[in-house]
Amino acid sequence: MLSSDLVRPRVKRRGGLVVVDMLDVSDRHWLRTAQEMIRLFGAQLGKAYSDWETALDEYEGERMDYIVVRGLAKVMEDAATFEPIPYPVLPADARERLFALGPAFGAPDLFNPRTRADAVKAVARELRTSMKAVEGALYADRVTAYTLREVGQLWTPETLLARYNLELARGVLYDASEMRVELHDHYKDFWRYMKLFKLMFEAAPLAEGGYSVRLDGPISPFVNATRRYGRQFAAFLPALFLCERWRMAAQIVASRNDAPAVYALDNSAALQTHFKGSGPFDSLLEKTFADEFEEKFGGARSEWTLTREDEVVLIGDTVFIPDFALTNKADGRRALVELVGFWHPDYLRRKVAKVRAANMRNLVLLVRESVNLAPEKLADVPGEVIYFPNKPVLRDVIRAVEACAL
Amino acid sequence: MNDESSYVFFQGGTLVLKGCPPGLLMPPAPFRWVKEQWRCEAYHYPRIVPWLRENHVRDTVPRWVHPKLTLHDDRAPHDYQREALRAWTAAHYRGSIVLPTGAGKTFVAIQAILDADCSTLIVAPTIDLLHQWYARLVNAFQTEIGVYYGGEKIIAPITVTTYHSAGGIVETHGAAFKLIIFDEVHHLPAPNWGETALMSPSPYRLGLTATYPEEHEQQDGRWRVDDLIGPIVYTRRIDDLVGQQLAEYRTERLRVDLTPREQKRYDADYAIYSAFFRSRNLARIHGSNWHLELMRLSAFDAGARRAFLAHKRLSDLLASAEGKFRALEGLLREHSTEQTLIFATNKAVAYRVSRQFLIPTITAETKAAERKLTLDRFREGQYRALVTCEVLNEGVDVPEAKVAIVLGGTSGAREYIQRLGRVLRKVENRRALLVEVVVRGTPEANKSVARARQQRKREQTEQSKQTGQTEQTEQDAQGSSDAQ
Repeated sequence: MLSSDLVRPRVKRRGGLVVVDMLDVSDRHWLRTAQEMIRLFGAQLGKAYSDWETALDEYEGERMDYIVVRGLAKVMEDAATFEPIPYPVLPADARERLFALGPAFGAPDLFNPRTRADAVKAVARELRTSMKAVEGALYADRVTAYTLREVGQLWTPETLLARYNLELARGVLYDASEMRVELHDHYKDFWRYMKLFKLMFEAAPLAEGGYSVRLDGPISPFVNATRRYGRQFAAFLPALFLCERWRMAAQIVASRNDAPAVYALDNSAALQTHFKGSGPFDSLLEKTFADEFEEKFGGARSEWTLTREDEVVLIGDTVFIPDFALTNKADGRRALVELVGFWHPDYLRRKVAKVRAANMRNLVLLVRESVNLAPEKLADVPGEVIYFPNKPVLRDVIRAVEACAL
Repeated sequence: MNDESSYVFFQGGTLVLKGCPPGLLMPPAPFRWVKEQWRCEAYHYPRIVPWLRENHVRDTVPRWVHPKLTLHDDRAPHDYQREALRAWTAAHYRGSIVLPTGAGKTFVAIQAILDADCSTLIVAPTIDLLHQWYARLVNAFQTEIGVYYGGEKIIAPITVTTYHSAGGIVETHGAAFKLIIFDEVHHLPAPNWGETALMSPSPYRLGLTATYPEEHEQQDGRWRVDDLIGPIVYTRRIDDLVGQQLAEYRTERLRVDLTPREQKRYDADYAIYSAFFRSRNLARIHGSNWHLELMRLSAFDAGARRAFLAHKRLSDLLASAEGKFRALEGLLREHSTEQTLIFATNKAVAYRVSRQFLIPTITAETKAAERKLTLDRFREGQYRALVTCEVLNEGVDVPEAKVAIVLGGTSGAREYIQRLGRVLRKVENRRALLVEVVVRGTPEANKSVARARQQRKREQTEQSKQTGQTEQTEQDAQGSSDAQ
């Protein structure tokens, strides 16, 4: 992520709004800049970080857009791997031995008969290596001496500019105290990343469908506009771009003297995520279930429409997102379907606890027999439970749905 | 309450109560029903313990340990240090101790840790002070000490962090420490810093400072130290201890010339920069903020950008002028029996001096263990010289140095005096020497003269208080071949 000094110059306030000066990714000047920098960086492979700094300084020259140049450089550095070179002599060891013989000078005098070269030679002899190796080891463990091993990403001018814009948007959120999001799809990805970045939420269903979610952290309710979670909001932001329909408004507290402002984004923003969304299905079992439903009960003949993960059941500080929902075409009654197909005890324990906490009468649990989930454990769970050996029998599922849909 | 499943746990700086749905049992005041949970700030922990016990709510908060510490330090505490410690333990291991600078606050803290014998988190204002705490604690307890800041994150039963990084460690490991110590506790009212104390469940708290914040410094959205740490338990005024720390010293100024090549570059860049500076009247309009203004302008004004770069090249050139290294060599040879501390203008110069003369350096990059080793060896005399840049600025002890060499005059007056104070800490009544190496006829040299004038003035007004003496001697570089 970019450091604040590379973000702030590109951020303005207009009234109560925060506006980011993003790059036009089709602008020829920026495309050329990106192209030149990608080439410059690629040419640094195997060279030291300090060489890259020098090359960058030279490239920057008297350019006035140096904030952008440094930002683009930072984006590439973050994706790349700089590693210490393997040295035959441990740098710390070389230092201890050399400094014990210092200060040393080029020419000897009465009080300093040993020259610098003598000192290096003596240490080389102690370590049974060459003077060159000793000189090389002296500060080989400094970050500036690390060498570029991998560029890490195949940049094109377009992807680099797009990523830079995303990093600017993230940078604004460093100063955010809370984030409000309205979303209408991809709930599982949304909540998965929210959990990953240790954010907390408060959610409510929206009248027109979807959910409104406020994100902050544990201490937020007790202090006035903390910026403690800014980095987490920034880290989380790309997850929003996995969703199709959403909007976000973050409260920005840049300094104690400024009134808070709002930074808003929605699905019309020309930003791309680099996060991986979960595929259409978590497991083959789910895919088979959906395919078979379409085949046998899909189309106009069916009374029920099958949708995937379109409802979020809010349970305290966590959520339960059932795999499928079946909605009656005629009267709108709904039932939710959850497949239980993994045997791992932790998975089962969490799943059962969630299902119990959800306490839903219109939930159909489909449990694979081989997972060894004793029926007693599900005795107090409202709704329907169906055990199946290999794959669920759809006719039975529809019957259960008919029985419990609300 | 007899529900076996009710318990309290620590989460991200808060305490969460589980198994107490609203209506079943009413938790005490600090708890609030937030997002379907009973939750409160972690610093309320000692207040709610009695309620937890009374209602048989399982307490999973404490993760702290009692490491059975032994002290490896033979120095006996002064009477006032003993009194301070007694007052703090009598106040149930909470509250602040106010002692003047140099009165041994760290020593009091070490006694406090020993007395409480529990895992402890120490919060220091700067990374330099973090390193100093680290060294003192390793020596005192001869055990592994953790450090948690940008450069290293090692957690041990006794760990040192900075105000800046404290939020991170308290959020995740706050419950691992029974005692939390805030060094220079007057920083705590700042909104971000105070939050740290709020998020810690540590029942034992100690604040250390020479200047407890005034009432008005703890208002308007700022935190109150009394609320976060406890009240002041002990105060000792500065008058009682003044006049013990100053030694005699003298300062010299060594002026070096630029090489003809350097001079050419200097003149060219100076012309670019000063023309712009004057044409825009930067100094008159923006005062001491002119540098910020120049930086702002350089994002869209080509002239400003060139001037900015010229100014940067000027600073770099002055910082690493050849003559300085030659002068430094001369000084090192001249004082070859003295422990010598060298201040470089920037990191690049520090590493260059280190490499060229085989002198250890300490910079912001140096890790805690190597930093301690280097300082130890310097104190013991195994390393005769040490080069550093800005990082050793405040309150870092290197009392063995008898010669200090300052390469360049870009630092402010305050920094200068602090550097001075360090070399001058009284050891065996010997006379210390401070040499400032500046480039002749440059802003560097002018600053140095201005500083000398300021210092003389201050000494005249404070003469009655001071036991030290100053003499100003000026010496031109002997070793500069360009001058001949």
